[in-house]
Amino acid sequence: MFNRLQTKLTVLYAGLFALALGAIAVTVYLTIAGTAQQAVRQELTATGGVFDRVWALRTQRLRDGADILSRDFGFRAAVATRDAPTIDSALANLRGRMGLDLAVMMNVDGELTGVDPSKLDAERLWTALDAEDGAGGVFMVDGEPYQLISAPILSPTLTGWVVFGVRLDDREMQALERLSSIRLDADVFNREGQQWRAENAERQTPALSAFVANAAKGDGAPGRIQGPGGDELVLVKPLKTLGGGASSLVLRYPLALALAPYRPLLAAVVLAGLVGAALVIVASWMLSRGLARPIAELDAAAQELEQGREVHVVVQTRDEIGRLADSFNRMAHGIRDREARITHLAMHDPETGLANRHALEAEIAARMAADPTRPVIIGALGLDRFTFVRGAIGYTLATELIVEIGERVRAHNPDVMVGRLTTSTLCVVSSITDLEEAVAIVTSATPILEAPVRLGGDLVDIHVSNGLAAGRHGEIAPHRLIEQAMIALDQARDAGRKASPFDQAAYGDPASNLSLMSEMLEAVRTGALFLNHQPKLDLRTGAITGAEALARWIHPTRGFLGPDLFVGMAEETGHIRALTDYVIDQAIADQQALRAAGHDLVMSVNISGRLIDDLGFARQAIARVSEAGARMCFEITETAVVGNAAVALQVLEQFKAAGIAVSIDDYGSGLSSLAYLKQIPADELKIDKAFVMGMDGEAKDALLVKSTVDLAHSLGLKVVAEGVESREALAMLQVMGCDIAQGYHIAKPMALPALTEFLTRWGAEDEAADPRAKQA
Amino acid sequence: MRGSDGKPVPDAVVTVYPGGQPTKGPIKFDWPYRVAQQNIQFTPFVLIAPAGAEVSFPNLDKVRHHVYSFSAGNKFELKLYGREENRTVRMPAVGVAAIGCNIHDQMVGFIKVVDTQYAAKSDASGKAVIRGAPDGAVVVKVWHPYLRAPKNEKTLPLAALKGAVAQDVAIDLRAPAMTH
Repeated sequence: MFNRLQTKLTVLYAGLFALALGAIAVTVYLTIAGTAQQAVRQELTATGGVFDRVWALRTQRLRDGADILSRDFGFRAAVATRDAPTIDSALANLRGRMGLDLAVMMNVDGELTGVDPSKLDAERLWTALDAEDGAGGVFMVDGEPYQLISAPILSPTLTGWVVFGVRLDDREMQALERLSSIRLDADVFNREGQQWRAENAERQTPALSAFVANAAKGDGAPGRIQGPGGDELVLVKPLKTLGGGASSLVLRYPLALALAPYRPLLAAVVLAGLVGAALVIVASWMLSRGLARPIAELDAAAQELEQGREVHVVVQTRDEIGRLADSFNRMAHGIRDREARITHLAMHDPETGLANRHALEAEIAARMAADPTRPVIIGALGLDRFTFVRGAIGYTLATELIVEIGERVRAHNPDVMVGRLTTSTLCVVSSITDLEEAVAIVTSATPILEAPVRLGGDLVDIHVSNGLAAGRHGEIAPHRLIEQAMIALDQARDAGRKASPFDQAAYGDPASNLSLMSEMLEAVRTGALFLNHQPKLDLRTGAITGAEALARWIHPTRGFLGPDLFVGMAEETGHIRALTDYVIDQAIADQQALRAAGHDLVMSVNISGRLIDDLGFARQAIARVSEAGARMCFEITETAVVGNAAVALQVLEQFKAAGIAVSIDDYGSGLSSLAYLKQIPADELKIDKAFVMGMDGEAKDALLVKSTVDLAHSLGLKVVAEGVESREALAMLQVMGCDIAQGYHIAKPMALPALTEFLTRWGAEDEAADPRAKQA
Repeated sequence: MRGSDGKPVPDAVVTVYPGGQPTKGPIKFDWPYRVAQQNIQFTPFVLIAPAGAEVSFPNLDKVRHHVYSFSAGNKFELKLYGREENRTVRMPAVGVAAIGCNIHDQMVGFIKVVDTQYAAKSDASGKAVIRGAPDGAVVVKVWHPYLRAPKNEKTLPLAALKGAVAQDVAIDLRAPAMTH
């Protein structure tokens, strides 16, 4: 409810006003009540004074009457002579004339005339009259309070008293009440024992009785009590009594009556307050609406702006809110402009103003999404020898050259989108859907693109190559498609073509290969990569004299991986050094294990062509072998030596000097140069297994093997035949004078424990039989 | 005669009844039976007179008086009269005649009408002297207009006389009723 400014302001203002008004009303009421109470107090006190005066006056009137009667000669004579009828008539006469309730004569003997003696306590009255001249006061007659006044009858000695009385009844009280300017309640209270009772029992309440009892003892100041009809102010005037007892006149005034004259004023204050509050509510509601509505509009506009929509807030007022709205509009405009600039920067190459890779990806994605059934074909257009051209014409003109090529592409086909991928590569997103057609179009368009460009007054010759790639929505991400186009461009250049589509088969999966290499290093640590050894058989002695160490890898997810796969990859990715180091170390360790088992073998390790010119590797390898005292043979291919012959030959000399045998591996499979063969300081030569395995069927192969054996022998090299898979082949090699054989027919590559067992078994058989006999 | 405050009480009348009997035969006192009105007062305040005596009421003031008594047996009324000396009233009844003036309330006087020869009133020193009373049993009474006793009179506890007897008497007086 209070989330709205309007409600808050309205409630706040109305609340404040109501509070202030309430305070005023309360103050007014309290002041009025205080004033009224004070007025009533004063009035009560004044009325008390008036009452005293009235009482005195009446007493005087009664006394005067009594005096007149008591001094009347005839009356005195009647009293002296006890002329009762005369006395009665005189009393009745005066009672009537003065409007008295009681007119009595009591003689000194206590005898009463003019009243039924049973109605009053004659003895008490006599005592009171006798005690004081002209005694007067409240006296109970017939159970009711009377104000009595007496006058002695002297004739000339005291013969009796004239007693006049006025009953203090309701009528009398009402007469008293009428005397006051305020509407008082006057009552007579009499003490009966400890209790004070009202003459009129209806007027009596416990609180009032208690107050009267207290006031009778106290100073008689007005007090306040809780009456039946609300608070009352009470004034107690003690009345003189005759012959003991106690009576009081009690004057009461209800405060409500005192406040009555002010009710219209209070009502007016409250009414004015309510009207004012209503006006404040309406006014503050309208004011706050005027405030809150533009703010709410600004809020809504800010949310629109947040969602990137264009907004313009219209606020008519010229106050702070109006200025805020103007500022907001300017801000929104500024944000739009900056956003546009940022978007342009994000989507364009700042140098050429062409679309950048990001924009191209977005365009590709859009075109793919527009029709998922058809492939989107893009082309990577690379300027050949761009660095050379740029060096010749300078950066600025080179950039202009790129722009010019882009314009040529667009001029040739307005449907395409042209962007810049790298410094020298443009990307063309085409609307063609057939890859072969696209290749054809690109090929035919190339001469137009390659027309010399005039830059800075000079003609610049340009040459371009194109790689194309196609992909459908959901099959390939736009950035992958661009990658493929770039690869296709490389493939085109490699193949010397002007345009070439992406060839997946040629490319392989470089990403997975990279991860495989990191896994290979891990496998070396965990033992998933290990060595198998394939025994080499000395054909002259029939003994196993060596073994070739071959790396094997049981991949956790791919299973068994052959060296063909990971060795080549290790060479490409620079991991071959680590792999070779491992193989050498492991071969040394295995050789020592075999020695311990009583088998002394020369361990052959393949050294990659990538390492043959690595002097650091050579130094370290020699150090290890020497340190271990190992008998090692490094197998290298002739091709590897040809790559960097000077260093390679130097390295091989060092190996030889260190006592490491060198074997020329795979002889006959690659480029073989007799010149190099002569220079290589090798100990042995391994005939490629393709020839050995082909000896069975091909007479040429057998001939080649025979001649190679002869050649090697003539160069002082031992000959090793690989791929010996049959007894026949072994027999032929023996006949040809081959020195050593290696192959499945003799033994498969095997792990160290199996090799140990194999060697033990072989040794036992070897002693038992002549090798030739065994082979037969 | 002394009051309860110890001061001498004048105007107290002592009567002695030898053998408790009133005097037979005429009674004669040696003071005039006269109550004058002088300076708007009765003079004397108290007069002892034998029953049947003629009491004169001379008016010595320049104003007129209206002398009366409502006392039983001795009721009379001397209506307004001026300065003269020849008004008399007979006092037939033994008792007290309280006399007043209808015009002047402050004028109060008493005539003690007695039936014994042996009566006297106290003087300013409170002393009352009775001579010639015979020895023997007596009833002695004291009266005063304001004596606090029935009929303003009480009997003294003196039962017999033998020669000269002097007795102190204490009496309790009321304040006189004042006019307003």
